Amino acid sequence: MKLNSLSLALFAGLVAATSAFAAEGVTTGPHGEKPTPAATMTLNQEQEQKIRDGKFTAALVWHEMSEYTNAVNRGAQDEFKRLGIEVVAQTDAGFDGARQKADVETVLAKKPSIIVSLPVDPASAASVYDPARAAGVKLAFVDNSPAGYEHGKDYVTIVSDDLFQMGNKAGIAMAEALGKKGKVGYIFHDADFYVTNQRDGAFKVTIEKDYPEMKIVAEAGMADPARAEEIAQAMVTQNPDLDGIYVTWAEPALSVLSTLRNAGNTHTKIVTLDLNEPAALDMVKGGNIAALVADEAYDIGVTVARAAAGSLVGRQAEPFLVVDSLAVTRETVADGWKRSLHKDMPTSIAQATK
Amino acid sequence: MSSANTSAAGQGLANRFNLQQYVVYLGFLAIFLFFAVVLRDSGFLTVRNLSNIVLQTAPATIMAIGLVFVMSAGEIDLSIGSTVAVAALAAAVTLGQYGLIAGVLTGLGAGLLVGLLNGALVAYVKLPSFLVTLATLGLFAGVSRSMTDLRSIPVTDSVFTGFFGSGAFLGIPSLIWWTAIAVAIGHIIYRETRFGAHVLATGDNARAASVSGISVPRIRLAVMAISGCLAGLAGLLYAGRLQAAKYTLGETDLMTVIAAVIVGGTLLNGGRGSIIGALVGSLMMGMLNNGLILMGLSVSDQMIVRGLIILAAVAVSLREKSR
Repeated sequence: MKLNSLSLALFAGLVAATSAFAAEGVTTGPHGEKPTPAATMTLNQEQEQKIRDGKFTAALVWHEMSEYTNAVNRGAQDEFKRLGIEVVAQTDAGFDGARQKADVETVLAKKPSIIVSLPVDPASAASVYDPARAAGVKLAFVDNSPAGYEHGKDYVTIVSDDLFQMGNKAGIAMAEALGKKGKVGYIFHDADFYVTNQRDGAFKVTIEKDYPEMKIVAEAGMADPARAEEIAQAMVTQNPDLDGIYVTWAEPALSVLSTLRNAGNTHTKIVTLDLNEPAALDMVKGGNIAALVADEAYDIGVTVARAAAGSLVGRQAEPFLVVDSLAVTRETVADGWKRSLHKDMPTSIAQATK
Repeated sequence: MSSANTSAAGQGLANRFNLQQYVVYLGFLAIFLFFAVVLRDSGFLTVRNLSNIVLQTAPATIMAIGLVFVMSAGEIDLSIGSTVAVAALAAAVTLGQYGLIAGVLTGLGAGLLVGLLNGALVAYVKLPSFLVTLATLGLFAGVSRSMTDLRSIPVTDSVFTGFFGSGAFLGIPSLIWWTAIAVAIGHIIYRETRFGAHVLATGDNARAASVSGISVPRIRLAVMAISGCLAGLAGLLYAGRLQAAKYTLGETDLMTVIAAVIVGGTLLNGGRGSIIGALVGSLMMGMLNNGLILMGLSVSDQMIVRGLIILAAVAVSLREKSR
């Protein structure tokens, strides 16, 4: 889910961002920004009171609706409610930049004080948000900002995942699952995408640097998730003794899972990213999936709403705020679902854990 | 009706005909009044918001005009959904390298070529237009994705963006000019020319049209070409408005355009249609999107309500016609 929201949206500045990560081992923003933990974005009582007294309004202009956006949306709505800010409109652009432009124009009729949004296409997003900027609306973004916009002047902040941490936690989860030794297969996203590149790279660095008894013995790039099954099949055929496979995100991981199941393989463990019901179900039933690393999507919404509200009373936010992620395992699945998506885990999983 | 012999059935028919003609206008008015009352304090009635609706629907209206011709001839063009992006990208790339005129011609030319390809397959290879354009919809969606490797192309030529998207002439935004000109020309060709009559005759009964000397294949080729060309123009308008072209442009418009055309009084299987109706249908769709957002509904609720209203509108307009 996370991949959808980001992969298409992020092109500008990718190369710089990816190479910066390799040197520093931390997540950098789409324009090379240094990350600041989202937890530092706080408001004091006086600021909160001022916000409540201001009777402000907000509009949520999403790029598309997915489970991820839903969680972010809920976080933003809850935080706005807490701060006495009325959400006057929400929109879904269906990944269409022209539609997002129309959405921004439309919500402006309600004169919101704040627009929280995820730009469909950063390269052309300036023309999308210019009417709002000209009207003095505070703009706060998730994951990316329009090319040419300046932090502090044109927008409040960008809130996103700690991508390095996600890959790093996947590496640690893999090590835990394998007893810190063994042969690992590595299926990475073979495309110039800022999100997956940072996550995949962090997994690899973690295994290579921190676990001397673990070895990545097979690597395969995947450009098209629909072909994940073929890739997994080839990898397992060539390396039947793999102890674990890292898959770049959950959807192709399901294909890898089906390959292992078909081969009657119960030994090889899978670690992947993003919460996904079928994958989680396999995990709680003691199948091949060992861990799912998830971002705290709900907190992205809370943070971006809080930062936008703060900007109305003079509280400046850092340019790039990142939320935590967590490795969800069989034991922590209930808690993980709550923390990531702020929802109870699906009933199928709840029943399987009984 | 002047004669006392005029049958009651005849009179009933005349009434029905009128009602059928006005369904889209009545629907438009009803929705407008509803939002005007419910959203009176929410900015719906501001000049800015109402003009936004017209601006936002301009590309869909232009596509709808082409589709009226296509559907009146008894065909369908699903490929417009991806023709828009192909034309916009072709224009944006050429514009950056060879200048304004080349960019515009390439964009319109790309649309025309897609239309001619569809038309040739429908008219001369005699394949059903639904299947042909379903295939080319996918084909050109792939082409637009590969043209620039999923990248969006900025359009920085201020003459282009002014002319096609964000400029104004005599104080009226260029998108409104485009809409007005396209509707006027489309309406005149559709209603007042032999070609328009031939299109309707072809859609009404192709065999009869053929017997009476109309070149049915040529009409089919022409309507598909018009549709492709207008989808190309819609692509230019999107590129001008957004100051960029991307493969996703127009992807979500297909269903809106079809709904606008049908609600506007054009028969799905040909023989009858209305350009003005399509304009009003398109504005109705835009107004619906706009009003439901301003009502503060959640995205899912907006989709449900929009779907129900379109269903009701289509049901009323089609039932009237089939009586």
